[in-house]
Amino acid sequence: MNKFWQNLKSILVKDRRMMMFSIIRGLAAILIALGVGAIFIFLTIYINTDDKSQTFSKGLEALKYMLIGPLFTTKAGVVSFNTMNFYQILAAMIPTIFTGLAVCVMFSANQFNLAGEGVCMTGGFVAALCGIYLSTGTALDPFICIIVAAVVGGVIMLIPAFLKVKIGASEMVTTLMLNYVLMYLILHFLNFNFADRSKGSTQTYAFAESARIPALVEGGSKLNWGFVVALVFVVIIALFMFRTRWGYSIRMIGINQSFSQYSGMKVGSAIVLSQVIGGVLSGIGGGIEVLGRYSTFLWKELPGYGWTGVTIAILAKNNPIFVPFAALFMAYLNKGCMLMSTYCDIPSEMIDIIQAAIFLFFAAEQFLSKYRQKLVVKSAKEELAHIAKGGAENA
Amino acid sequence: MEHKETVESANEDLVVRMVGITKVYPNGIAANQKVDFSVRRGEIHALMGENGSGKSTLMKVLFGLEQPTEGEIYINGEKAVLPSPTAAIAKGVGMVHQHFMLVPSLTVAENIVLGMPPTKAGVFIDYKAAVKRTREFSERYNLPVDPMAKVMDIPVGMKQKVEILKALVRGAKILILDEPTAVLTTQETAELFHELKHLKEQGYTIVFISHKLNEIKELTDRLTIMRDGKSMGVYDTAAISEEEISRLMVGREVSLELEKPKAEPGKTVLKVRKLCYTNEWDKRMLEDVSFSVREGEILGVAGIEGNGQRELVDILFNFRKPQSGTAEVEGVSLIRLSQRKIREQGVSMIPEDRMTYGIADKGSIEENVLSDRISKKRFNWGPLFRVKRMYAESDRLIKDFKIKCKSRKQQVMMLSGGNIQKVVVARELSCSPRLIIADQPTRGIDVGATEFIRNKLVELSRAGAAVLLVSADINEVLMLSDSLIVMNGGKVAAYFEDAGILNDVMLGEYMLGLKHHDKETIAKACHEEAMPEVSNE
Repeated sequence: MNKFWQNLKSILVKDRRMMMFSIIRGLAAILIALGVGAIFIFLTIYINTDDKSQTFSKGLEALKYMLIGPLFTTKAGVVSFNTMNFYQILAAMIPTIFTGLAVCVMFSANQFNLAGEGVCMTGGFVAALCGIYLSTGTALDPFICIIVAAVVGGVIMLIPAFLKVKIGASEMVTTLMLNYVLMYLILHFLNFNFADRSKGSTQTYAFAESARIPALVEGGSKLNWGFVVALVFVVIIALFMFRTRWGYSIRMIGINQSFSQYSGMKVGSAIVLSQVIGGVLSGIGGGIEVLGRYSTFLWKELPGYGWTGVTIAILAKNNPIFVPFAALFMAYLNKGCMLMSTYCDIPSEMIDIIQAAIFLFFAAEQFLSKYRQKLVVKSAKEELAHIAKGGAENA
Repeated sequence: MEHKETVESANEDLVVRMVGITKVYPNGIAANQKVDFSVRRGEIHALMGENGSGKSTLMKVLFGLEQPTEGEIYINGEKAVLPSPTAAIAKGVGMVHQHFMLVPSLTVAENIVLGMPPTKAGVFIDYKAAVKRTREFSERYNLPVDPMAKVMDIPVGMKQKVEILKALVRGAKILILDEPTAVLTTQETAELFHELKHLKEQGYTIVFISHKLNEIKELTDRLTIMRDGKSMGVYDTAAISEEEISRLMVGREVSLELEKPKAEPGKTVLKVRKLCYTNEWDKRMLEDVSFSVREGEILGVAGIEGNGQRELVDILFNFRKPQSGTAEVEGVSLIRLSQRKIREQGVSMIPEDRMTYGIADKGSIEENVLSDRISKKRFNWGPLFRVKRMYAESDRLIKDFKIKCKSRKQQVMMLSGGNIQKVVVARELSCSPRLIIADQPTRGIDVGATEFIRNKLVELSRAGAAVLLVSADINEVLMLSDSLIVMNGGKVAAYFEDAGILNDVMLGEYMLGLKHHDKETIAKACHEEAMPEVSNE
């Protein structure tokens, strides 16, 4: 019995070490990325200010806005929690949780489908049209709109999925193209069929009041019930991926397709399924965003949530459970950069630089691999020592 | 302590000296633990040990393929840092791998000068010069090869000579041969030994990796034995008995003798008739292959690798489609049937390439061991898994098949080779199969696991399963098979009703194509009374 506990302890120690490594590695990537961002911030300020001696203090000011600005405001030396900003950050997470989940499912099956972007926009457009033309005037409206958006999203993803399975066309290429096909189709229909001519800019008529997704908190934060739905979907997708035979097939195909085929799984169906689910989730994300945030459809370019979804899936290592955290991080960073650009004369594109740097270090397999090797060696040595001590049981 | 060693070794002419080599792989396996290894100039030195004892790792370190975690390497008395094979070759170390590193579509001469071709005007490859250089080396070292032949067309024995020549042309003075005889017949092995002795006379040093006792005794001067990643000492080959070597290698008395009750074959399970297959390069790989496997028997398929065995197995599991012919399991044709349907017919397979087909390396043991039955009713409750039943089943398999692991959640890639194979075997043998296709079931794994897997195959066959055993290991085929067919050049070259009458030399002759059976004898492999196709001719 004693031995059992010892064994258990050694397992935990080793696994904890590897888990700590993952966490440290992630934090290091983020810190370095922020460091890279800071360099650019200081550079921008140095170039733009005339009084060079101010560079440092202004730079710190900018960093402060970026890092703690999203949640705390300082007025006359008093630091206070900014509830409004907090709600706004949560609201910004809604569409990216969905696109992040979508990318998780598709990337798990090793399908580098990037059409989340275009499908998300289409979902928004379709949901808006339903809200305008199919409104029943009851509380069912949002559900109908979202379901239609989901179905349309899923159907669109059948295109790259079948092209992949039937004729072996790379889904990465077809979906990158598909994004623009979808965007220009939407713009065409928006301009020529559905535009409200009484308005100054190109937008649809306002959708029925009953189709709008109710706010979760009062005020202009745009935080709506979609946030709760998004969290529910996190749980559903996590269960799907880890507790159902379809999720299992999707994950195994992602690890080793030959193995899956040999084991008797339906490889083609699972590839199609993963992308259809990705489409459904992206469609829902777009629909909820449009119905929850606006009163009319007015996107005239790709909204960018699909790309953010890719970043989120990579940060979350394709694990649905981590998606909300990654989405929170991205929303927080986004907010910080917006504040910085508003108050400190720093271009808001800074977020792209920081994002790219995080990407780089997360995706780089060998980043900190020497440190990892050291941990592995340490664990192995402990294990050997442990075996040497209890060697009698093997002999 | 280390000082003393240096003083002692100064008296000897050591061409290679490795001190305190420790190698921990990224998956946490300590393949070498403080290993000392040294080779005298001009000797043939055997490096012995079971599969997984760390001998290949040690040699990869010496050839610059792996970096040691700790330890130092001296070549010709100088400290050497070997970050890559190029650095090792520059120091005169050459290696011939177990799996040949040749380009099949190029000629022998092109392969030999690959990466350093003689050129005309510094731009165009001078093919004639390449052929000439190949001839020169081939004659000087008495290693006959055909410089103009394409590598895919030459026999395994010649491929090996090409590999050796490749190393010599690059200036290797120390040759590492990684289990060179694993793929050779007894006759080819004798030829290789002759050539290696010739090289030794010319002053070359050879490190010979093997675990075959008789070969070591015949060929080598000294030997180093490894076990569980540690060196068990250096011995003069003449001064140590085979029993002693065996004891040092394995650490216990192992009898690889197998207790096998007599087979009582029942009705036919697998029926293969006139199977023909031509591969994508228009090479005829299978020609009119016909045989049957009955319940309760193990039919061995012997043959040198590349004589159609892989294609046969692939066709039976629908990874390739034959041009003509049939393969049926209890009346149901396997051709063009999906793998799922094939499995539903009660066919299971232990694949040759376990890392490609057998497992999902990043998946857990549980996910791997249940992959063929995950959508069965008993593991599902509506859309969700019945997790407890899955836990119970995987724990049972881990226990029954003695898979050494920390828990069912451990990643398969963290296991040793033998345990990975046990994961595959646990899945394939626990689904009450009617037909088991075992393709090289014990290649590259430790004795314990080998013994276990072989016993399991016998046990299941005696319980009524039909077993088709494909193996390049002559001893394995002889030990396990009840009946045996030999494949040569894509044809069934011989059929032995009773494999017990054979020995390795006899079998080698058939495998090499020196002998073959007549049509009547081969037709008996079908176990049918009427043989119209034979009587017609």
